[in-house]
Amino acid sequence: MTERGTLANLKPTDLPAPPQEAIGIVRACARSDITSKRLAEIVTHSAVLTAELLRIVNSAFFGFRAKATSAAHAVTLLGQRALRNLALCVAMRDALRPDAIPGLDMSMYWEQALRRAVAARCLSRVTRLNSEDCFTAGLLQDFGLLVMLYIDQDRASEWRRLAEADPDERYALEQSLFQTTHDHVGAALAAAWELPPELRQVMAGHHSLRDTDTAETLELCTLAQCADWMAAVFSAADKRPVIRRCQQLLHAHFGLTPEQGNDLLEEVAQGLSAAGAAMGMSVGAQITLADVLREANLQLVEDNLSYQELTWRLEQALAERDRIAAELNRELELAREVQRSLMPRDSDGDSNARAGIHGVNTSARELSGDFYDYFPTRNGQIHFCIADVAGKGMNAALLMAKVSSLFRCLAKNVADPAALLAMLNREIVETSVRGMFVTMIGGRYDPQTGQVWLANAGHLPALYLPDMGPVQEIPADAPPLGVLAEAQFVTQELNLNAGVLYFYTDGLIEARLPSGEELGIAGLKELLRKHAGVPASLRARRLLEAVRDAEIHDDLTLLMIDSHARF
Amino acid sequence: MSGTVRQEGSYAIVCLGGEIDLHSSPEARKLILGCLQEGKPTLVDLSGVAYIDSSGVASLVEGFQLARQRQLDFGLVGVSPAALNVLKLARLDKVFPIYASVQEGVASAK
Repeated sequence: MTERGTLANLKPTDLPAPPQEAIGIVRACARSDITSKRLAEIVTHSAVLTAELLRIVNSAFFGFRAKATSAAHAVTLLGQRALRNLALCVAMRDALRPDAIPGLDMSMYWEQALRRAVAARCLSRVTRLNSEDCFTAGLLQDFGLLVMLYIDQDRASEWRRLAEADPDERYALEQSLFQTTHDHVGAALAAAWELPPELRQVMAGHHSLRDTDTAETLELCTLAQCADWMAAVFSAADKRPVIRRCQQLLHAHFGLTPEQGNDLLEEVAQGLSAAGAAMGMSVGAQITLADVLREANLQLVEDNLSYQELTWRLEQALAERDRIAAELNRELELAREVQRSLMPRDSDGDSNARAGIHGVNTSARELSGDFYDYFPTRNGQIHFCIADVAGKGMNAALLMAKVSSLFRCLAKNVADPAALLAMLNREIVETSVRGMFVTMIGGRYDPQTGQVWLANAGHLPALYLPDMGPVQEIPADAPPLGVLAEAQFVTQELNLNAGVLYFYTDGLIEARLPSGEELGIAGLKELLRKHAGVPASLRARRLLEAVRDAEIHDDLTLLMIDSHARF
Repeated sequence: MSGTVRQEGSYAIVCLGGEIDLHSSPEARKLILGCLQEGKPTLVDLSGVAYIDSSGVASLVEGFQLARQRQLDFGLVGVSPAALNVLKLARLDKVFPIYASVQEGVASAK
């Protein structure tokens, strides 16, 4: 902070002193009773001001019809309003000496201000506003920034960042550097210097368009805002977004097309040096609009290139994903094929079908955790099993393959179902992974006598539907395989005199009925009764079809032993 | 599924709620195994469970097996009717120690 005071708590004494002669003319012009003769006398008091006015009036930029030769002539040519405006411009330009802010080349500030002034004057043509009013507004709207740098001189080194920012960025940057903004400081200065009311409102309100005294002043504020963005097209570091924003503003406020906007920008670029000559301000080498657009297009091309790169990478990633998915699908299909081969094919007419055993399995996913099997023993009996591995997917399918192989292998030597399940159980517990377990019913059936021996390890109850009498449930009497090494299994015996024994997995009883309810064991019993008359060879498939209408979330498996085949 | 763990004396209480299915059971598994791996006797509160499938039951089985291996107490408390039905059908109600409440579980286990 400098000794000049603080911006946050600005006092009139902190502000630069107004240049008395020019301000005197501004005040005189505001009086309604003033004559041109009197005004000419006031101007003539200052040789410097007289020379300034004559140069401005005779400049190519302002282009008055006749050449003025004296102060009186200039005053007549200009009229009161233009005289006031030009006096104001000169007053403000000279308010701070060129070396008032160490480290800041004041001409760089004024070049930017002049560009805003020229832009404002060009834009005034599409409005009803006075072109010299617009020029003055454009030139002086950001004067607050200069005052801020004057008061807080330590910040002069930030000039480049401020100059290359677009109006919004600059506003935010000011806030962070100075804890205030040029519109606030500009408003304080305009009040202290008693500047004309419309100029005070422009200085205070060109960033946040607010209520003004008249519609005309509001239009002037809007025009000043657009002029700020037009000037930034030439000065901002990142030009492309500024051009876009500029086009949007010109269209929104003045209905200009992008082409009309570009024409105006071209005019600004070309008019700047003439305006500099008229105002006695030095103007450096200028870039043309074509240069600006080329630079912006280069940025666009760069952005597009990185966008194309991104698209390309995304395409590669998607292709890779598709390739992996296809590979995985092939693997799954092979696994499913192996899995299907582990279950008997239910072909009508084979020896098992003649014995009354039928099974069916449909999988909700590629791989099933369900399985069933049956095969004849040497003495004409049939081993059978149905099982459901906890969980789904590849790990369940692999465990299922292991259990089905073990069952086939062990059943050839172990006749008692309980003993067989106990052996299986120990095998699975030993190599248990992730608590995966298997519910299973394993058994033996003698088609000659109708005798069934079975053991139920945690599986859903088997259902026996005798031709006469109620349905009989054969529930689990031991936990699933793979839970407890020392689990005890029990062989149960029953005789299928005349009836059908059904085994199933949870997918069947959890199937949703059209009503939304689960089928459940009670619903299954009812369904089995209803289909009792369907030929045995078709029944298993029909039963699954009956629940297939409902949405299937799980694997469906059904195994049945129909004693009627014996007769 | 919801899952929280709290401490009750030396016991970890894993409280599971909602639906424990193929998608949520890995989270249930992580909570249960986490407690046991820290060497804490563990009770799993199933009072808020609306549905549990075989993969969820597998998480309980894995907890049960790990607890046995490490000689830690393990049990289920406040088992909801939905969960109890699943356990009963598979005769797992005879495998897991099941207690009416956490207090009962802590007292009985000692």
